[in-house]
Amino acid sequence: MSLSQILALVPEALWESIYVAVISTAMAYVIGLPLGLVLVVTAKDGVRPMRAVNLVLGGIVNFLRSVPFLILFFFITPFTRLVVGTSVGSPATIVPLVISAFPFVARMVEQSVKEVDRGVIEASQSMGASNWQIITKVLLPEAKPSLINGAALSATTILGYGAMAGIAGGGGLGAVAINYGYYRQNYLIMFVMIVVLVLLVQVFQEFGTRGSRLSDRRIR
Amino acid sequence: MAMIELQHLSKTFGSGESAVHALEDVTLSIEEGEIFGVIGLSGAGKSTLVRCINLLERPTSGTVLVNGQDMTRLSGRALREARRNIGMIFQGFDLLMQRDALANVRFPLELAGVKRGEADARARELIKTVGLEGREHAYPAQLSGGQKQRVAIARALATNPKVLLCDEATSALDPTTTESILELLKQINRTLGVTVVVITHEMRVVERICSRVAIIAESHIAELGEVQEVFLHPKTEAAKKLVLPSRSGKLEGFAEDAAATAVDECRGELIRLAFDGSSTDRPIIADMILSCGAPVSIIYADTRTIEGRLYGHTVLQLPADAATAEKMKRWLENEGISYTKEVQ
Repeated sequence: MSLSQILALVPEALWESIYVAVISTAMAYVIGLPLGLVLVVTAKDGVRPMRAVNLVLGGIVNFLRSVPFLILFFFITPFTRLVVGTSVGSPATIVPLVISAFPFVARMVEQSVKEVDRGVIEASQSMGASNWQIITKVLLPEAKPSLINGAALSATTILGYGAMAGIAGGGGLGAVAINYGYYRQNYLIMFVMIVVLVLLVQVFQEFGTRGSRLSDRRIR
Repeated sequence: MAMIELQHLSKTFGSGESAVHALEDVTLSIEEGEIFGVIGLSGAGKSTLVRCINLLERPTSGTVLVNGQDMTRLSGRALREARRNIGMIFQGFDLLMQRDALANVRFPLELAGVKRGEADARARELIKTVGLEGREHAYPAQLSGGQKQRVAIARALATNPKVLLCDEATSALDPTTTESILELLKQINRTLGVTVVVITHEMRVVERICSRVAIIAESHIAELGEVQEVFLHPKTEAAKKLVLPSRSGKLEGFAEDAAATAVDECRGELIRLAFDGSSTDRPIIADMILSCGAPVSIIYADTRTIEGRLYGHTVLQLPADAATAEKMKRWLENEGISYTKEVQ
């Protein structure tokens, strides 16, 4: 295989990797963002402490986070088939990615939101803010720069997991690296895919860092 | 009429062995339109006291009446609405860092559901009141400590509260800035008629703006009264510690050998004179020395200005000769100047 033939494989694989990562990240946030907020709000020092809820949700998050991604991938195959009708290909990768990533996202969100100064929350309470208003008008806006940073980190992690799924019938850059590179022992292909992945991670990270900096009013 | 009434207020944190009684049976009444000081050393319970007024801390027992309404009976929406009548500012300013000054001031109005245009107009007006015109779009990170506290004051006033609680509001500021913030609070009290409660550990803050003061020590009110009265005649140990900082049982840094440097004949007893603002323009000590014909040592002297009048404490060491010392004390009594024997 010539280099130009190899490069011809890149666009489709790149596109698949990007859309799997972006859709999975978005869906992981749909579950992880509210979950992370609930973890902060119901914590002992939160605005609405609820011990039982916090313990149960924290337990689920810890449990899912301790299952290695590839194991989870195979383990939930029946569920994946139920949801998307197949267990191979890019759309099928999204299901295990989301399940694997949302607990991680929840913890990232929890960390970011916890950084919001306790005094600011109390000041808002003294002004008559409801818990919902504290979440939407204080916690989320004040944690925004940190949340954006976290989203970039989550997206790059999910991108990496997505590449890993290439070994088990997923699509994208990882699949090309494994199918053409590893199984056919073409190290050039593997190398090219790695370079593309590295560049992609750089782009995701740069987006996150810039977005976070531009949105942060504390510096300048 | 009393704006704030605390009746038999107690607050206990934790329970059983590890229980901390932050407040025990505190009864206190704060009049409408006054600037009331609550002073105490750290850990005395003063912060808990102020946080019980707007129920940021729910009292374990007792009642909190603000403008006739029992705050302890409220919860949920009713409590949130009642809180809009009580503004509060903090030591750490606690502004929203991702909002500019104007949006910070607008914040409580947004919470109350006031329309955007109306809220904006009100916020601009308040920014002007606190002297920050032109800085509407500055973010807290771009403002100095004093300016941040001004934004916080404007924010606290946005919902037209009847009460403004200040929890160590000047403790993070330098003396000059403290002065200007206190001046602003005084001005707000005068022009808007807002009742102001000032929590502090600094006597100078109380002296500068308060008319009455409560001294909190070990979860109780140790002393309560007009600022002049408490300052001039502190009765309890807790009050003395705050008012007379150099006095902790005996004079700090004053030992027998320190006295040895003084003239030999001045080694008698120590007395403390308290000046009450009426006589400080007279050179009393000089007069006493001249008319008694013997020198004294000034061991300690301190003056403060309360509401424009000068108050002071001076500790004198009288001559060792008992007859001369007696003569001096009689002279002071005749002049109507009160003194107390200082414990050595």
